[in-house]
Amino acid sequence: MELKVKQVKRVDGVKEAFYIPAAFGGLRLTVKHFFRNLFGSRDVVTINYPEEKRPVSMRWRGRHRLTRKDDGFLKCVACYMCETVCPAKCIHIEAGEHPDLSIEKYPVRFDIDELRCVFCGLCVEACPKEAIRMDTGVVAMAYSSRKTFDFTRDLLRDNYDPNQHESPKYGDEDLPRPESQESALPNSQGIPAS
Amino acid sequence: MSLATQQLSSLVTPPPQGDSDTSIMKIEIGPSHPAMHGIVRFTTYLDGELIVGMEPEIGYLHRGFEKESENSKWIQVVPYTDRLNYVSPLLNNIGYSMAVEKLYGIEAPRRAEFTRVIMGEISRITDHLTCVGAASMEVGAFTFFLWFIKAREYLWELVEEVTGARLTTNWTRFGGNATDIPDGFFDALQERLDKVKDIMDECDKLLTRNKIFIDRVKDVGTFSKEDAISFGFTGPMLRACGVPYDVRRADPYSVYDEIDFEIPIGSTGDCFDRYLVRMEEIRQSISIIEQAADMMPAGPIMTDERLMHYPDKKEVYGNIEGLIDHFKLVMEGHQPPEGEVYLPTEGGNGEIGFYLVSDGSGDPVRVRMRPACFNYVEAMPAMTVGHYVADIVPIFGSVNMIGGELDR
Amino acid sequence: MDLILEILSIPLVQSILKIAFIILLFAMPLGTVLTLMERKWSAMIQDRVGPNRANVGNYTGNGLLHLAADGLKSIFKEDTIPQGANGFLYLIAPFFGLIAGVATFAIIPIAGPIGDFTFQVTDIEPGLLFIFAITSLSVYGAVLAGTSSNSKFALLGGTRASAQMISYEVFMGLALMGIFMVYGSTRVSDIVNGQNEYWFGNLIPMWGVFTQPLGFFLFFTALIAETKRAPFDAPEGESEIVAGYFLEYSGMRWSAFMLAEYVAVAGVAVLMTTLFFGGYHVPWLHLWESAPQWLVTLLQIGKFSIVTIFFCWLQIQLRWTLPKFRFDQTMSLGWKKLLPLSLANTALTAVVVLAFM
Repeated sequence: MELKVKQVKRVDGVKEAFYIPAAFGGLRLTVKHFFRNLFGSRDVVTINYPEEKRPVSMRWRGRHRLTRKDDGFLKCVACYMCETVCPAKCIHIEAGEHPDLSIEKYPVRFDIDELRCVFCGLCVEACPKEAIRMDTGVVAMAYSSRKTFDFTRDLLRDNYDPNQHESPKYGDEDLPRPESQESALPNSQGIPAS
Repeated sequence: MSLATQQLSSLVTPPPQGDSDTSIMKIEIGPSHPAMHGIVRFTTYLDGELIVGMEPEIGYLHRGFEKESENSKWIQVVPYTDRLNYVSPLLNNIGYSMAVEKLYGIEAPRRAEFTRVIMGEISRITDHLTCVGAASMEVGAFTFFLWFIKAREYLWELVEEVTGARLTTNWTRFGGNATDIPDGFFDALQERLDKVKDIMDECDKLLTRNKIFIDRVKDVGTFSKEDAISFGFTGPMLRACGVPYDVRRADPYSVYDEIDFEIPIGSTGDCFDRYLVRMEEIRQSISIIEQAADMMPAGPIMTDERLMHYPDKKEVYGNIEGLIDHFKLVMEGHQPPEGEVYLPTEGGNGEIGFYLVSDGSGDPVRVRMRPACFNYVEAMPAMTVGHYVADIVPIFGSVNMIGGELDR
Repeated sequence: MDLILEILSIPLVQSILKIAFIILLFAMPLGTVLTLMERKWSAMIQDRVGPNRANVGNYTGNGLLHLAADGLKSIFKEDTIPQGANGFLYLIAPFFGLIAGVATFAIIPIAGPIGDFTFQVTDIEPGLLFIFAITSLSVYGAVLAGTSSNSKFALLGGTRASAQMISYEVFMGLALMGIFMVYGSTRVSDIVNGQNEYWFGNLIPMWGVFTQPLGFFLFFTALIAETKRAPFDAPEGESEIVAGYFLEYSGMRWSAFMLAEYVAVAGVAVLMTTLFFGGYHVPWLHLWESAPQWLVTLLQIGKFSIVTIFFCWLQIQLRWTLPKFRFDQTMSLGWKKLLPLSLANTALTAVVVLAFM
């Protein structure tokens, strides 16, 4: 394609030499908007946020979640892919042995520091098991304490619905526990697990 | 005598004054000041309201992008580039990814390139909308600014549809894009572009012909062609001075040489020309998007080279090679061949260039970004000295300094 | 009952009641409501929602409670005095503008007289000259605030404000010369009554806007500049000198500046109504001769309020439509364009008045 150049037009007419015509032209426009929003159909893009929520797209990268298998147990095999690829180094995993020998490993700890997270989505791409997703649609996380943003495994886990998963083989209670209670428990700040 | 041949220092330091001479007032504009987009400081010397000296100080938003990149894998730099020019993140993504592709010596598939053109131009529009809107707001046209922000909102929703985020897009990969455009995207695109055009027309009526606005921006911050070139201006700032330099035409990358568009240029290089050039570029970008949408080919969005992208999940589960590739790519990262590249692309603000050095391992040896607005801020003393203190506002607005890009 | 009527007929008591009524029930509430209306109306222009969050329980009144919230906030906010400021001048500066703004209302009649009783605090002989005197007082507010704050931005703002306001007083006076000549008086009640006459039988009322169209534009422009509203708000210059002369103020004193601005907006509106739109006179009402007095008074107050609110709205609409002038452009507009125009207008009016009246 050849180079096409367009000289921008500087408006220097008679109308532009006076203040009044443009002031009236502008007033006509703003008055139109004023009365349209006062009486007619409101063309307002503002959202009254906490009451109405903006529909986020299907691809919106929100808070992480850990998906489950059909038996209700986490899909994650603690392979450390996401921890390695994370540019913000916000994922911390500790692997543990699963009682079922056919399942090699599972995460004893899976913590994400959501304050460090940059929501790039590289962990989702790197996961070979589709165990971590960012499709929760959670747009804003606002808590009053810094500690609250340390999301542990149990908080990140999907809501477990027994009707959907018919024969749970292993619940969390069957599994070996991490050494200290605090390290595995959901944060005490009262975040719902969902 | 052109400014470039003058000593720049004569503009920076004020005329000599004794201790008892109080006619020169030193005033610190910034770092926290309504007209300083982001954070930058201008030590300004005033004689009454007239600026007689100015000293820009940058670096308040330095986050160590380049050093941080050296400690990352190649792919981990992509999220960082979102945060360089944070009003047009996709253009940074594209610039960086294309530079890495050049290092590899590969090209993305055509569909990916066309998608990049569309998304990049959307990003350019948002960049110009923000810049023109903010600059106009500072000369008092607040309504204009909010209408432009409304237009930008429409476009950012499109960006969100495709990339999954409005600002921190992290969308391009090496050899393609992370996601393809979703179904029904083009209808939404056309509808949104029409809305943006309407808003542009309204705003044109409100401001372009308004004498008050013309008074504020005309013959303010005038910069000659020669000075602009010797200061290293690029992008809309250089084009406003009358030089038809656009990387998309001067050094065509991606598929821009198949697309028909005009390069708007100004005549005098004042703030009014910069405003008009940016307004015209928005219109040109809309036309580019419409052309690219018509020409959009079918096909993959990711190159099929090995070890460039994660294999399909089917491969990972069912094939040992796929699994090995996947793990290798995560653990060792992309390993472009040894060498160095510089790839200039046309950002929203001027030429964005990425200079990359690879030693063949998974870690970048050097990631250097050429920020477009660095040169503009350097020229601020030359542009403002001799004007009134109120003229800093339209001049600095038209410069469109983006802190993230300037200080990196 | 007789005693009450007796007390009410004392002129001093009447004056106090009128002051209470016009200032406390008209000027101040109008100014206060305008602070909210500016935000709501600008939101409508800009396709936004505007303030709507202040609430008591679930009641928000669509933003109305922001009035109370803002007032409470500024009362309880710390009243800071910057280091190195001149304490006394700094403390008294905010109230000059407010007093000047409110005093404008003293000579404005908001309805026609009923017998001896006038709906006007005082109908002094100098009339509008009083307005000029009072508005020049408000310059002191800006100047004192600017110089006493010990801030360079405030100093720049104060300098700009003083230069601009003193200059525009000249054109303000000159623009009104035509009105004085046409109605032959500086007394407000005479001007208002003069506008109740009609041209071509009963076709067109002799409003100031028809007898002095150029004077109307000039006076309106000069008044907006005098009150430092957009597009002439270079003294505040929010983008280059941050907030200008009241940059360092906080709390209630800052609110006093804001309130003064909006009272001034209302003052501009009542002046425009009184001088150019027939004041309280409802056009063609004299044709209805059997109209009861109470209805006439109500209609007059209604007409006066509607035109006043229209001019308040117009000023706000102008503010959100136009970009603002640079300071030197404001001055050159005044001295190079408005001054010759108002002189020409005065001369032309003089010729016409001499020739035809």
